[in-house]
Amino acid sequence: MQASRARLFKEYKEVQREKAADPDIQLVCDDSNIFKWTALVKGPSETPYEGGVFQLAFTVPEHYPLQPPQVRFLTKIFHPNVHFKTGEICLDILKNAWSPAWTLQSVCRAIIALMGHPEPDSPLNCDSGNLLRSGDIRGYQSMARMYTRLAAMPKKQ
Amino acid sequence: MVSDSIPNASIASSNLRDFAKKKRANRSAKLKQCKLDARREQWLSHVKHKGEYKGDANGGVIASIGASVHLENQRSQPICKLEINTRNDEGIYVDGSSTHHYSDSDSVQSNSPTSHTSSVSGSNDSAANFTRSSRSSSSSTNGSCSGNMSEEDEGDAGDDDCLDDWEAVADALAATDDKHKDSPSSKNHDHSTESGSQVVASDQMFSGINIPRIHTASANSESGRTANRRALINCCAWRPDDACRPQTLPNLAKQYSFPLKSEHHLDRGSVWVRKNVGTIPTACPICVEDLDYTDSSFCPCACGFRLCLFCHKRILEEDARCPGCRKKYEVEPIDGEATLDGGSLTYRLARSCSMVARS
Repeated sequence: MQASRARLFKEYKEVQREKAADPDIQLVCDDSNIFKWTALVKGPSETPYEGGVFQLAFTVPEHYPLQPPQVRFLTKIFHPNVHFKTGEICLDILKNAWSPAWTLQSVCRAIIALMGHPEPDSPLNCDSGNLLRSGDIRGYQSMARMYTRLAAMPKKQ
Repeated sequence: MVSDSIPNASIASSNLRDFAKKKRANRSAKLKQCKLDARREQWLSHVKHKGEYKGDANGGVIASIGASVHLENQRSQPICKLEINTRNDEGIYVDGSSTHHYSDSDSVQSNSPTSHTSSVSGSNDSAANFTRSSRSSSSSTNGSCSGNMSEEDEGDAGDDDCLDDWEAVADALAATDDKHKDSPSSKNHDHSTESGSQVVASDQMFSGINIPRIHTASANSESGRTANRRALINCCAWRPDDACRPQTLPNLAKQYSFPLKSEHHLDRGSVWVRKNVGTIPTACPICVEDLDYTDSSFCPCACGFRLCLFCHKRILEEDARCPGCRKKYEVEPIDGEATLDGGSLTYRLARSCSMVARS
């Protein structure tokens, strides 16, 4: 508990110091609970998620960093590896490939990378996975772009 | 260790003189002063015979130059020959052509006893600095130790040398920026000649080992210049850690002769080396606690990922994979268990582990 707190505090300081270093990621800690974080990540360019801003919720376990943080999308996203309803993310580094050397910041980067490189063979979103597996790239991109517009972009007045 | 290469009678006599005078001072002061005098003489001889002088001594090397020293002894004029064995831990400079000519440093010698008690620490430092610097600059050889010098100082000289050496290095590094601080510490006001000459030495340090200039300065070392140079001495002495030294300089300088300090110096040296290597983080990347010495010498995985022992143990209890490369800790986990569980269990674990790996 104490170790994870110290580690998170260190990460917090790191984030504060390198705020400008990675403009695609905005990682903020809950005011009252250092084990709750939220992040805003920008959809990578040349993907259907370009232009969207996706909110992630981090729940850091007590044994962090030995155990991975739980991350889920708060913003709706149409992606084969993200559960459409719960926002759960199927990402190996959040499960069995976690390494204590990773940080919340690096998790954010990994999620951005996952948005650019979906893995339709281990889908949480079967519709999206099926589109990709059947080769309907255009269909997948259209759906993803639509949901990005709907959910991840500021509403046009 | 240097007993076979004892210089000559003048040294011995001067030392005896010193001893007679120093009866009142305490023993450590005596020892220090002896060493100090010897160093100064060595320095003077450096100055006057720069070209011929070869000046480093290390315990192991001295035997090889014994012969040459004896040759010089036969050749020696009314010259005070002094070679100091400085057990420096830095390097071994083997002498190629060892013709040692030494100048008459009796004048200094006669004056030296006046400042025995007080100015030991500061002057000691500066003298040591000089010897180091000249040694390194001329890339020269062994001075063998005068017998009584080495025997007397056996106890603390080595430590001192280590420490002085450290200071010398620091001073050499800081030689360019002249931060002159006022000297609350200077107890050696009234010891004109000695402090003067020593200051010359430190002065020398600053000017980047400029032998001829030293020569002249030492020739007419007058008390008038002492104050000016003392600032330099103090500057030298303070350089290593400027921030905290000025107020407490006298005490700190004294402490430098303690064995503990030399260990400290060694530690710092090693730390320095490790930092220069640059591959070892200062804090555990997992728990962000500072790595202590054991931790930083602990490298459990071939990938080079380092972490503290505490985190390593916790990882072993979970999935036992290296955070850096995600490979299973193969042998090291077993080693980790060894300290906890003892030998037999460890080996059993090792066998089962390897079997699992094979299957």
